[in-house]
Amino acid sequence: MLLIHCPYCDETLPELEFAYAGEAHIDRPEDPSAMTDEEWRDFLFIRNNKRGTHFERWRHINGCARFFNAVRDTVSDKFLTTYKAGTPRPSDAELEELGK
Amino acid sequence: MTAFRIPGKGRVNHDTAVRFRFDGKSYGGVEGDTVASALLANGVHLMGRSFKYHRPRGPVTAGSEEPNALIGTSRGKGRFEPNTRATVQEIYDGLKAESQNKWPSLNFDIGAVNDRLYMLFSAGFYYKTFMWPKSFWDRVYEPVIRAAAGLGVSPSEPDPDSYASRYLHCDVLIVGAGPAGLAAALTAGRSGSDVVIVDEHTEMGGTLLSEDQVQIAGQSAWDWLSATLDELKGMNNVRLMTRTTAIGYYHQNMVALSQKLTDHLAAVPGNAPRERMWRVRANQVVLAQGAIERPLVFDGNDRPGVMFAGAAQTYLNRYGVKVGERAVIVTSHDSAWYCAFDLADAGVAVAAIADTRDEIAPEFAQMAADKGIEVLKGHTVSSTTGRLRVKSVLVNPVRNGKVGASRTIDCDALLMCGGWTPSLHLFSHTKGSLNWDSEAEVFLPGDKTEACHIAGAGRGLWGIARALEDGANAGSEAAIAAGYATEVGLYPVEADRTGGGVTHKELPSDRDAGKAKAFIDFQNDVTAKDIRLAVREGMRSIEHVKRYTTNGMATDQGKLSNMNGLTIAADAVGKEAPKVGLTTFRPPYTPTSFGTFAGYHKDAHFELTRKTPIDGWAEENEAAFEPVSLWRRAWYFPLSGEDMHRAVARECKATRQSLGMFDASTLGKIEVSGPDAVEFMNRMYTNPWTKLAAGRCRYGLLLGEDGYIRDDGVIGRLSQDKFHVTTTTGGAARVLNMMEDYLQTEWPDLKVWLTSTTEQWATIALNGPNARKLIEPFVEGQDLSEEAFPHMSVSECKVAGIPARLFRISFTGELGFEINVPARYGRELWEKLYEAGQQYDVCPYGTETMHVLRAEKGYIIVGQDTDGTVTPDDAGIGWAVGKKKPDFVGMRSLKRPDLVAEGRKQLVGLLTDDPKTLLEEGAQIVADPKQPIPMKMIGHVTSSYWSEALGRTIALAVVEGGRSRMGESLHIPMPDRVLSAKVTETVFYDPEGERLKA
Amino acid sequence: MNVQNPIQFEPITAAHSGPVELTILPEATRFNLRIDPAGLAAASTAFGVDLPERIGGWAESATRSAICLGPDEWVLLAEETDRQAIEASFAGIYSDVPHSLTDISDREIAIEITGDRAAELLTVACPRNLDAIAPGSGVRTLFDSAQVVLYRDTSDKFRIEVWRSFFPHVWELLIIANKELASGL
Ligand SMILES: [Zn+2]
Repeated sequence: MLLIHCPYCDETLPELEFAYAGEAHIDRPEDPSAMTDEEWRDFLFIRNNKRGTHFERWRHINGCARFFNAVRDTVSDKFLTTYKAGTPRPSDAELEELGK
Repeated sequence: MTAFRIPGKGRVNHDTAVRFRFDGKSYGGVEGDTVASALLANGVHLMGRSFKYHRPRGPVTAGSEEPNALIGTSRGKGRFEPNTRATVQEIYDGLKAESQNKWPSLNFDIGAVNDRLYMLFSAGFYYKTFMWPKSFWDRVYEPVIRAAAGLGVSPSEPDPDSYASRYLHCDVLIVGAGPAGLAAALTAGRSGSDVVIVDEHTEMGGTLLSEDQVQIAGQSAWDWLSATLDELKGMNNVRLMTRTTAIGYYHQNMVALSQKLTDHLAAVPGNAPRERMWRVRANQVVLAQGAIERPLVFDGNDRPGVMFAGAAQTYLNRYGVKVGERAVIVTSHDSAWYCAFDLADAGVAVAAIADTRDEIAPEFAQMAADKGIEVLKGHTVSSTTGRLRVKSVLVNPVRNGKVGASRTIDCDALLMCGGWTPSLHLFSHTKGSLNWDSEAEVFLPGDKTEACHIAGAGRGLWGIARALEDGANAGSEAAIAAGYATEVGLYPVEADRTGGGVTHKELPSDRDAGKAKAFIDFQNDVTAKDIRLAVREGMRSIEHVKRYTTNGMATDQGKLSNMNGLTIAADAVGKEAPKVGLTTFRPPYTPTSFGTFAGYHKDAHFELTRKTPIDGWAEENEAAFEPVSLWRRAWYFPLSGEDMHRAVARECKATRQSLGMFDASTLGKIEVSGPDAVEFMNRMYTNPWTKLAAGRCRYGLLLGEDGYIRDDGVIGRLSQDKFHVTTTTGGAARVLNMMEDYLQTEWPDLKVWLTSTTEQWATIALNGPNARKLIEPFVEGQDLSEEAFPHMSVSECKVAGIPARLFRISFTGELGFEINVPARYGRELWEKLYEAGQQYDVCPYGTETMHVLRAEKGYIIVGQDTDGTVTPDDAGIGWAVGKKKPDFVGMRSLKRPDLVAEGRKQLVGLLTDDPKTLLEEGAQIVADPKQPIPMKMIGHVTSSYWSEALGRTIALAVVEGGRSRMGESLHIPMPDRVLSAKVTETVFYDPEGERLKA
Repeated sequence: MNVQNPIQFEPITAAHSGPVELTILPEATRFNLRIDPAGLAAASTAFGVDLPERIGGWAESATRSAICLGPDEWVLLAEETDRQAIEASFAGIYSDVPHSLTDISDREIAIEITGDRAAELLTVACPRNLDAIAPGSGVRTLFDSAQVVLYRDTSDKFRIEVWRSFFPHVWELLIIANKELASGL
């Protein structure tokens, strides 16, 4: 069972308090009606499913109830970092630093 | 005193006799004995029969790694446990134990005929022997194999014991309380860190319990041990746990412990759990699990009386038990020599020490000579004799690879040692890498994935001095990493027993290798020959060899067999061991009861059950209940002698004729509140909300972004800025989560907030022509007339003096009200309404009647009539989608090509040709029943009931192009016949909706 | 108004089941307050308690208390008779400081857990490290599979607030565990 750092509570807490919420940084389009079928399909269904560093969302559902973002290594299962929803994703250089 | 017990020797309490039964016979032991040590003290080695060949077997170890001496223990009804290790189970007065895999008796077992049919059961026998003829599999092979297979017998009754669980957080968890673990605990404990040290044995000490000759810091081993334990017990930052096995090592230093609490007690205190699962989260973990002795592989190495030298030493020094009167030692490692010397000192005749090595330390030879023990250097063992107990051993000299003539030496105990395997099971759970030490021919810990430290024999360090030193350092590293300052203690050791050895594949022999029964996996009866056969038949990876031969797949997970299996497979393949691979160890480390995993989750607490405020009334009134998500809901209220069908028919009729009442408290409720509430509702739901006036309600439909129906419910606007949203019972949490997701991450600018009020309100639904008449006298602050409070109204008023949210809505097609009152008043109001309703013959009804009444009206149930691929149009509720809205969740998807395509499945009604025939929900529908199989299925039945109002059955179904098939006959093939039904509209009853206005 | 005992599952006397005292607390006024932290000062004035800013913070006056459960979420606790006064007070600031104040008095049932072994009792089903919850603070977390708000009053006094339908499960589990503590094993 993992430990997850909630960026809102600023505490590292048991995974049981959290729920996974899919890939991160997929913004709902401003005007869905303006999108082609292909664009809309990609927004709905196409995901990275990456082996390695994966950007994903979690919710501290049994805690402060906030959705937040995380970077997790899907090979080791371990979190590199977590950050608040709406803040930009860490740069590659930052991730490399965190990976060490 | 029993024949093989040495008075006063060991750590058992010789003064406290204990009587227990084994296979019906009464035996005496002493306090501190295991079943194995007590039986050995009585001269009994034969403790079980093996799994496949039913060969007689005795204990080969003195610990939890024991593969042979598995017993069933029972202490009353439901309290039978198979496959308990006799080497672990402590005796107590009245213990009943029995051997396994024998019939009619342990001494004479019919199944032993398998031993003669050896060829039939060689590697991969499942895959070969029972292949042909195919029809025999179901009727002959499988039943026979099932009857013969398995270790022990499953208990047949529910387990009456209770089990417990705990979470525990600490700085340093130490697994194993031998010298390394204890030294680690001392260092970490003295640093002030929170320490937990666990050991699977009944007492701490590990090797020290069997090596009392060692002097540590000027004290005898046992004095040092007792002083150390006293010191640790005196620290309130240290927790010591015995009979506690670390069974699994998970991410981020979460370690699962299984603690046995009562299996050793003659009298169990009330309410005491039998076992407890601990979920420990440690900042640092120290693994000090030691090493496990490795068998030598030779013909007849499994006879009762053949055991590990280390085990014999433990039985002698810890339990005061001689494992025989005349022992022979056969070894490739120095450690067994000390066993020989200890036995000789205790008065056991040691006939010979046969060492496979040509060179032996001169002091060993000298000491053996002093004790009158014959030394056979450069020897092998080619066989043993004896049926129920070893009688003799055949040893042969080996010179330049040539095996000389055998010599028979009589013995009643053959004590072997083929080296030691570092115990790295838990480390392996963490996916830590293992490095092959080609010199010692063992795997040692490599790269770590967790904050752990491995100490002592677990990383290949032999001897007590090195274990203490390494443990003290590991404890220090762990405490420092956890943020404490440490001082590493020094533990000068005298009379230590260090040494080394070599490892082997099968021992060389002068006998026919094809006839040798040289066991590798004692528990699964896998021999060296099986491993070689598997390689000959094409298995190359150890993972394949393992599955083909079942080597290492028994309950001991290959603790004894993996390394020998690997060595032999590697030899057969012609590669170095690590190239052939090592199988992965998985939790649990030792077999663990289901009860320990279940913990408190049994019987009424098997799963969390949610109950409404009115649940108690339903129970008192003998409702039948059904689970709906985590809730239990009243299903129907049978009168005496009624079955479900009759009860539901009566409830339906009463509601349509006069008045029914229903506990709707489980409906999800969400308060949507804030200046942007209406904007939020417009974006979430398909319906338009801007023009909905305060005090009015609307049916709300929620889609996923993919355009499929996710949830629905009636939504009331309480004020300009406040909505009372209802959801389905099962959808409540999901819908709130989805709404929060959009609000927090897509529209954080909206000034609106969501609060779950599902449990704030108890909800009572009243339906039927007399619903208004019943509640009118109770309502204050709201005129209930058709004009003032029409269908789809909501009001905050008082009902029976209780502040309430009153809805005029209906899920039955009858005049209906739903009264929401603060939950604490729910039952009180229910009872008042029930009492007052007697004049209208009010009928409490459950979920089944609710389902029938709504189906008669064609109202869908999300999740029953929809399945996650149904659009509003498919469900026939396209009217609920706002046509002029700029956007809402799922709107864009409604124009996806496959969602606007022709021929989608649409919800329709079905009326069977025979009005009494009830379709099965989930039944598949075809257009032409005469088409060849496999038929093209064009839909399925989603809802099907007996309708009392219509005097016939009704059904809803999703059917391809359903709405263009009105009047068409469709067919529902069933196992015994094909049913036919006509496609109809979905509203079966009161299609004009007149009754709502009653 | 005859207010019924909400507990129809188990007699309250079962609370005397072991070394830890388990008490079902009387009904209280309980609001869920959602507000942009920028409006905290106004809300504090309206409620009469300085609302804590940090998640887990718990502030009290003589008869009222407030706990911060999320970045924009507080639970306000007050006496049974204070409900309307609080609603009126918050209604007064709504136009300037929009917020949501929702009555959840009946949503939850509160259990007080007192005694030397109170924290130990909670470890049967609470995955959090209780040492990290300081006296005078509280958090939303899990007890077994039920979501709860766990308040720590002092080192040996806790309060669990749990949704009403989950209450029987949590309460019965506490009693089982309390008996287990009493068994000495
Ligand atoms: Zn949080």
